Parts: sequence; structure tokens; C-alpha cells
Amino acid sequence: MIQKVFKWLMSPLGRVALVIAALAIVSVAMWGIAYVQSPPAQPIDFPHQRHAANQVQCLYCHPGANRGASSGLPTPSKCWGCHQQLSITQTSKLLGPLRDAIANGTPLQWVPVAQVPDFVQYNHRPHLAAGLSCENCHGDVASLLHAYENPQVMNMGWCLACHREKSAGNPELEKKLLDCATCHY
Amino acid sequence: MTTIDLNMVGAKGALVEAAEGKWGMVIDQDLCTGCQACVTACAMENNIAFVGEEDAGYGRSMHWIRIERFWEGHYPHVKMTHYQPMLCQQCGKAPCEPVCPAFATVHSQSEQVNVQVYNRCVGTRYCGNNCPYQVRSFNWFDYNDERINKAIATLKHQFNPDVTVRRRGIMEKCSFCIQRIHKAQDKAKSEGREVADGEFTTACAQACPADAIVFGRVDNPESLVSQLMAEGHGVQHLSELGTLPRVTYLVGGQ
Repeated sequence: MIQKVFKWLMSPLGRVALVIAALAIVSVAMWGIAYVQSPPAQPIDFPHQRHAANQVQCLYCHPGANRGASSGLPTPSKCWGCHQQLSITQTSKLLGPLRDAIANGTPLQWVPVAQVPDFVQYNHRPHLAAGLSCENCHGDVASLLHAYENPQVMNMGWCLACHREKSAGNPELEKKLLDCATCHY
Repeated sequence: MTTIDLNMVGAKGALVEAAEGKWGMVIDQDLCTGCQACVTACAMENNIAFVGEEDAGYGRSMHWIRIERFWEGHYPHVKMTHYQPMLCQQCGKAPCEPVCPAFATVHSQSEQVNVQVYNRCVGTRYCGNNCPYQVRSFNWFDYNDERINKAIATLKHQFNPDVTVRRRGIMEKCSFCIQRIHKAQDKAKSEGREVADGEFTTACAQACPADAIVFGRVDNPESLVSQLMAEGHGVQHLSELGTLPRVTYLVGGQ
């Protein structure tokens, strides 16, 4: 039986079938990789680059970073504060969801892309208080069209490399910054 | 020549921290009424899973604090002793730490409490076996998964975002509400001051209607915890094992 199948696979028709099967497996794998690597759908295809280039400060839309753990995502009314003064807001197709959100009083459901796992307790405030700027971790937002294009992979080794550097020569700070319980609890 | 007190030598030969530690707790058993408010508050604060009736029957209940009851005498002359809330004693020389093969339970250098690193834990349960206080609990299932535990569908909306939601196969235990410690320290630092005594407290101490639980700095002689410990009728459970527990129990006070 197996010999018969093998013989058929060696025939011209069998070889074509083999190639098709291999192509199918590769394409499914490629689709799977593309699916997990693609950025999440946002309510508006928000160009960070354009806002940063127009000198909008990060903390204007994400003021929580200065105060506590989460930097926060802006509400439609925050967007509207500037955008109602721009004529393009009324005509742009891209800004349709913003007009709808304002008209209906519904939220814009942004999907955060710079996230750490649940077992990491991250707090923005001490990092800003230590003199870090947003670009240190989130990449050069002024030159990235989207936030998810940040080339920096946010993993523990990268966190610790900075913590080591900042606490070098200060045993008290070293204790705090290299402690498991600072981030994991 | 310096002599080394062998009771102070921890695992791997390292000298353990000074006996007084940093954070500590005093539980007044004379005041405790056994109402279980601390148990409830702890479960709310720390996202502790509700295992359900069947699993509780198998002894899989997960509580970071429990009220122990003891009796003395023989039937019919049985007398109940004081209620005894039992939680992780945050030992200065913890028996759970050296046995972990994954270094998932370690001593925090900055807060001097015993921490459980959930993402490092592989679930050998060795620490739980080695804990003389039996205060560690193991996640036998994904109790916080809707497919396993139907009740969590609505309960998950009250999870504390400051505490990790644990998954299956890892050990967990009382953290002395380290998320509250961090929050208070962060707030104090942003205002350029030190954390004041009594500024914050653990969930169990906050919920206790009899104020039987007091939490604070044991290395500060002015703190309420230090003053209560100095009263003289405090006991530390199983301290003869050299664990250097951070929780002091007051029994038989005036």
C-alpha cells in the first residue's frame, strides 16, 4: 500500500501534487506569521508622525504619564479641542469616526500597542521623574507614522540594561532598581 | 575575631538581613473576633481566585490569610482559644526561598519582604511543602478563566489592575500588599517626602473592624507597629526555627 502511494508520488501527477501541498503549507505558515505580526485595527489610522511634527507634545494627549502608572489614551473631546478649528476635520474621510464619536457622544476605542504582560507592573511616573523622555522607550515618534512601528522590543533584558546603567555606583538605588519586586507582584 | 550567629546565616551562606527587617505586622488576638473581613478584603485586593465548592473540598482553597481556630480541654469541657489570623510571616530567613529550583521566590532587597515572581514560577510546590506556616497556595487550575470557572465571567470586572492575575500551575502567597507599598512610596516620592506611618496599610488591616491588625515599619521605633511590639506580650510563631518572622501576635494583653 505504502509502496503504491510512494510510486504514485514519483509520477508526474504525484510530483505536481507534492509541489501544491508544499506551497499550501508554506502559504498557511506565511499567512499565520503575517496575521500575528500585523498591527491591531484602530478606529482611526492615527498618524503619530504628523502630530509630533506639528509640535504637539506627547503629554498633551497622554497626560497620565506624568501622574501615574498609565499614560492614558485621549478621549474624542481632547481630539476635538484642536480638530474643530481645522477645516479638514469636516471633509476628511479618515476623520469620519471622530466626527461620529463627537456627534453621538461615543468613545473612540483605541487599541494600546505599547503594552507589557500582565505580570509586569509598569509605572510611567517614576520613569519621567528620573528624566527619561518618551522617545527613550517608544522610539522616535516624530519619524514613525504609527506607534507600533517602534523598533525597540520591550523585554526584560532591555529594561534591566537601563536599570543597571542608571543605578551603577549607587547601592541604595541598585537595590531598588534590580529588585524582582519592583516590577513583579 | 568576629563571631557569626549561625541563626543569622541564610541559604547559600549569605548573611541574612538584620533581624528587625523593614515592614512588619502586629496582630492583636485579644481583639480579633474571627469575622473573616480580612480574608475577604485580601481576596478582593489581590485577585485571589474563588475555587468553588468542589475544589475547596479537595483542599485547593486559595487564601493568603486564614483564621485559625484552636480548642483546649476535653469534651464536654471544651474551650475555644483566641482566633489566630495566619498569613505569610515574611520571614527574614524564609524556608521557602532556598528550596525553589527556579528562584521564583526570592527576598526583596529593597522592601525586605518575601516575594513570589509569578512569571518565573514553574510550579514544583517545593516552597509550599517547606513553609512551616502552610500559607502558600497553589493554582491547580485556571480559576480566572471563564471556560474553567463560570463565576469569573462577572467577577473579573472587579480585578485589581495593580496585581497580576495568576494562571494555572503557579504558587502564590501574601505579598504584604506590596502594590500598596509601592503606591504609597511613589506618591510620597512625587511629593518629595518619606512615607508616613499609618499613611497606608494592607487590605486586611484596613478591613479589620476591630483594628486587630496593624501594619508599618518595624525599623522605625516611632511607628505604631514598633510600639506595640515593644509592649512585651508579643509572640512570633515558630521563631524557634530561626525563620525571623515579621508578624508579631499579641495575646493576653491588658
